Amino acid sequence: EMRSQLSARSLKKKTVLTTDSGNCTAEEASESEVESLDEGGDEEQSHDDLEAEVSNQKQFQQTWIKKADSRRQNKLEAVEAEADDDIENLLREEEEYEEKIDFSADTAGALKWKEDLTQKAAQAFLRQQQSTPNLRKLVYGTVIEDNEHE
Amino acid sequence: MAGGSSSSFSSSSSSSQCLSYAGCNFLRQRLVLATLSGRPLKIRKIRAREEDPGLRDFEASFIRLIDKVTNGSRIEINQTGTTLYYQPGLLYGGSLEHDCSPSRSIGYYLESLLCLAPFMKHPLKIVLRGVTNDQVDPSVDNLKATALPLLKKFGIDGEGLEIKINRRGMPPKGGGEILFACPVRKVLQPIQFTDPGKIKRIRGTAYSVRVSPQMANRMVESARGILNKFLPDIYIYTDHMKGVSSGKSPGFGMCLIAETINGTFLSAELASNPQGQGAAVLPEELGQNCAKLLLEEIYRGGCVDSTNQSLALLLMTLGQQDVSKVLLGPLSPYTIEFLRHLRSFFQIMFKIETKSPEEEHKGGEKVLMTCVGIGFSNLSKTIR
Repeated sequence: EMRSQLSARSLKKKTVLTTDSGNCTAEEASESEVESLDEGGDEEQSHDDLEAEVSNQKQFQQTWIKKADSRRQNKLEAVEAEADDDIENLLREEEEYEEKIDFSADTAGALKWKEDLTQKAAQAFLRQQQSTPNLRKLVYGTVIEDNEHE
Repeated sequence: MAGGSSSSFSSSSSSSQCLSYAGCNFLRQRLVLATLSGRPLKIRKIRAREEDPGLRDFEASFIRLIDKVTNGSRIEINQTGTTLYYQPGLLYGGSLEHDCSPSRSIGYYLESLLCLAPFMKHPLKIVLRGVTNDQVDPSVDNLKATALPLLKKFGIDGEGLEIKINRRGMPPKGGGEILFACPVRKVLQPIQFTDPGKIKRIRGTAYSVRVSPQMANRMVESARGILNKFLPDIYIYTDHMKGVSSGKSPGFGMCLIAETINGTFLSAELASNPQGQGAAVLPEELGQNCAKLLLEEIYRGGCVDSTNQSLALLLMTLGQQDVSKVLLGPLSPYTIEFLRHLRSFFQIMFKIETKSPEEEHKGGEKVLMTCVGIGFSNLSKTIR
């Protein structure tokens, strides 16, 4: 049952992450999102209105603290090994979710330039190193053509 | 005779307008090229924004030296020393002496004299006093070993050409003395110098003054430790000067020269920290580092070593109206600026081509410099 809960949460996380404004970290957003959905989900409003967003954030923070408290209690009750399991599961979920993002290439080609950035940079560097610069231009500047005609 | 020379001088100066520069950089280059081209020169804003504005003592000493070797130069410096106007006279030469400022070594002055000396009216024979070896400028040993063979390639040779170290002087107090003599030539030979060839032998000098004579041996030992792996023909002289010849400050150092089968001389050098400045340097460490510097210089290669690039380019520019070619290692920033100055003073531009060595183990990228000489002939020299 726990797992099903978590997977549900992770799904929600995904939705949140795609609309994350960047103000909060992923985890905060996910937690708050769960809460906001429970409370009736004024997601669109929060994105439209800046003030609303700020108030929402406050709410999120409060709920997040609450959650943390409840979790602490749970932990106290639970055996340590179980808690470890919980964390591991969480981590696993995150991994899964990352992969899903990679595979779900609905926006085909849009982010293609981001692929192998380091490799591309390395190649460009080597190309620049190997290409022979026009030393004459470097030394004498751009007036070179004019002077040659004279 | 004096009237004749002054009239030719005034005609040359009226045909060319005054060149104007700002800032203290490349002062020597500008003064030397102005003297050779006969164009007046104005330099403004010499350290104008610094707390201690104007020319430094070594620059003032350099200007005095230029005044000594020329005849009829007009030099005007403003009150604060931030503006310099120089109208060059004729290069006169003769027997002279000059006390160089100890804040730069004699090499600073000698480098420029090497550019001017072949074009004097009378052969230059000058005694320079000051610091012979320091960590900034090319040492007298270095110039003696690399610049003189280069002058010979351009046809400036004979018995009159020599650099002799009478006394060695280390910074900060100096106290060294050298003699520089150079014959005059009416025209320079063009050179075709594009293949340095392989390294034939390594020579060098390890000197020590006012410290234990053992220092020189220790430097030699460690330098040989590195160089012996590459070729057997290595001889490093130890030079320990005593008494009056040892100058006023203690110190030691080393200068290494690699000679190729085609007569290229590549050099590297290091000197100990001046007394009271920086940590003490171990002679072993210095010897090792100097050997590594020489290997670096050999890797960069070329037919002229990096300290003499600009001298070679100047003599090519001033040669007969014929094509000169020289293969250099990577151009030094000083040389790049020198090329720009050559263009503004002599309207000459070099053809610059990069050459990657076709074989392996032939060092880094090279630059082939080509130009046609402007047919400069030494007008000051009397024709017999």
